Amino acid sequence: MLSMKNVSKIYRTESIETHALREFSFSVNEGDFISVTGPSGSGKTTFLNIAGLLEEFSNGVYELDGQNVTNLSDAQRSRLRNEKIGFIFQSFNLIPELDVFDNVDVPLRYRGFKAAERRKRIERVIDMIGLGSRAHHLPSQLSGGQQQRVAIARALAGEPRFLLADEPTGNLDSQMAESVMQLLEEINRAGTTIIMVTHEKNLAKRARRNIFMHDGRVGSNEPGLHLAAASA
Amino acid sequence: MEIGPIWRAMLRNKTSYLLIALQIAFTMAIMVNAIAIIQERSRMMARPSGVDEDNIFYLSSIGFAPDFNPRAAIEQDLDALRKFPGVANAIVTNTVPLQGGGWSQGLRREPGDDKENIGVAVYFVDEQGIDTFGVNLTGGRNFTPTEILWFDSEGGGPRWPDKTILTQAMAEALFPESPQDVVGKTVYIENDLPVTVIGIIERMQAAWKSWSKVENAMLVPMKRLESAVRYVIRTQPGYRDEVMPQVEKMLAESNTGRIIRSMKTMTETRQRSYLEDSAMIKLLIFVVSILTAITGLGIVGLASFSVARRSKQIGTRRALGATRTAILRYFMLENFIISSVGVIAGAIIAVGLNIWMVQAFDLTPIAWYVIPLAMLVLWLVGQLAVFGPAHRATMVSPAVATRAV
Repeated sequence: MLSMKNVSKIYRTESIETHALREFSFSVNEGDFISVTGPSGSGKTTFLNIAGLLEEFSNGVYELDGQNVTNLSDAQRSRLRNEKIGFIFQSFNLIPELDVFDNVDVPLRYRGFKAAERRKRIERVIDMIGLGSRAHHLPSQLSGGQQQRVAIARALAGEPRFLLADEPTGNLDSQMAESVMQLLEEINRAGTTIIMVTHEKNLAKRARRNIFMHDGRVGSNEPGLHLAAASA
Repeated sequence: MEIGPIWRAMLRNKTSYLLIALQIAFTMAIMVNAIAIIQERSRMMARPSGVDEDNIFYLSSIGFAPDFNPRAAIEQDLDALRKFPGVANAIVTNTVPLQGGGWSQGLRREPGDDKENIGVAVYFVDEQGIDTFGVNLTGGRNFTPTEILWFDSEGGGPRWPDKTILTQAMAEALFPESPQDVVGKTVYIENDLPVTVIGIIERMQAAWKSWSKVENAMLVPMKRLESAVRYVIRTQPGYRDEVMPQVEKMLAESNTGRIIRSMKTMTETRQRSYLEDSAMIKLLIFVVSILTAITGLGIVGLASFSVARRSKQIGTRRALGATRTAILRYFMLENFIISSVGVIAGAIIAVGLNIWMVQAFDLTPIAWYVIPLAMLVLWLVGQLAVFGPAHRATMVSPAVATRAV
């Protein structure tokens, strides 16, 4: 459902060329739960941005759900992001002036759903994350874990084909991180494909597959990382 | 449309939006009332004086020689002026419309101190007065040469001739029930002197442009024997500027016992008369323009700050599927809501301020269309002002969402 072949990303300034991704090839199957690890500067975020159509790449071929995205217009990329991809960010990226309900509503409005359909979807996902009684709370009135749950609800409301999670537990304490991780596992078991960038080995090993990135390329598995699925 | 979430978000962070809305409201209130004043002044300036302004000029003749004979001088001057090439007609009179100084009297329908007295501007003319001023006789008749009296302020004689020609406005003021039937009626001047109305002219303004009864005027068939007199001269169309210096020279040379001075055209008189009004209009246009520009800059400032402050949020919206158009629409809509609050509050303040100004300064109430027009202008200014920052917002990359800012 997601396939990259020889994808490169070069950032150019007047004097310097930085190769963030080098001939990167990678594919994801339906229902995968993939963790992406690697040292800082290894290209994890660039990979995530390109996979999520947040950035364009310099060379190579990227197919998303069978569609070549190389030459799509900005508006087409926006539509594709909205319909097929759910994002979970390290710092949640909730809109502080909007309550839980309106935050989850944001991508649904861009999708063009009618009000009744949006309400149905929002109520379903808010109930799913256990925050039904806090629909009209502002993000500032929620704990970090609750905010990340709202962000997950926002990502799921549009029923995307896959979730891209950028350090989803990076700003949470271990208890909240565990609760968010369990929620992601539950979502994956329900059939949603997840690609998760993380620094934390104990979270990465809970994925079914790990991509260890080094210097813009796919390396071998992260040293010392034994995937639960692999070792099972 | 995202009106609901935008409105709710603004309510949770309302101080800066409220300040801009207030600025728009006060701009609107000032703009509307300034327009009302401009309209009133413009209306006043556009009123026709009733005379042939383009071709009339006037001058003063002041006799100083011990043997100066006013009557002989007037008769000789009028004869020379009426024969002068390019001159259509000329009279001796006391003043001209809009000149600023003149005579006024009160006319009554019945004699007696206790009867209502209606103010009227007085023009002393002879039988050439109607033609010289170029006013339009709409009823009755003109004076005949035999009806013109000479009045000597030192030598006695009749105080007022027994005939007059009134403006239509004066006829309506005296006889509101039958203004078309005034010719032949008797009115009273100086309480009890009867005067018969023999004609009606369409319009001739008084010398005082701000007088509330500026259209009330009467022509009196009289020439006053004074050393200082004023001649009004109407030229053939297009000859005024050419004829003026020649007439001045001719008069000065024809009688060395007097001086000719204060020669002016009616065009100059109108300009001078409305100088303050014209300056006021320019000042108000300047103030309203500056105020509107400051409001526009305020909106640019708020929107620019808002875009800079919310770049991560914009990136997140883009990541969640917002197109550039959706981002542009968001900021334009947000500004439209702020402007709407401002212009609605502004309309209420404007009407309140106008009611007070009408009562305090006797202004005309605002025309109904000024308020929607001002709302439209301020909406447009708001949308134009926010377009630049909103366009910058569309340039925020969705990748900003994943940056640790």
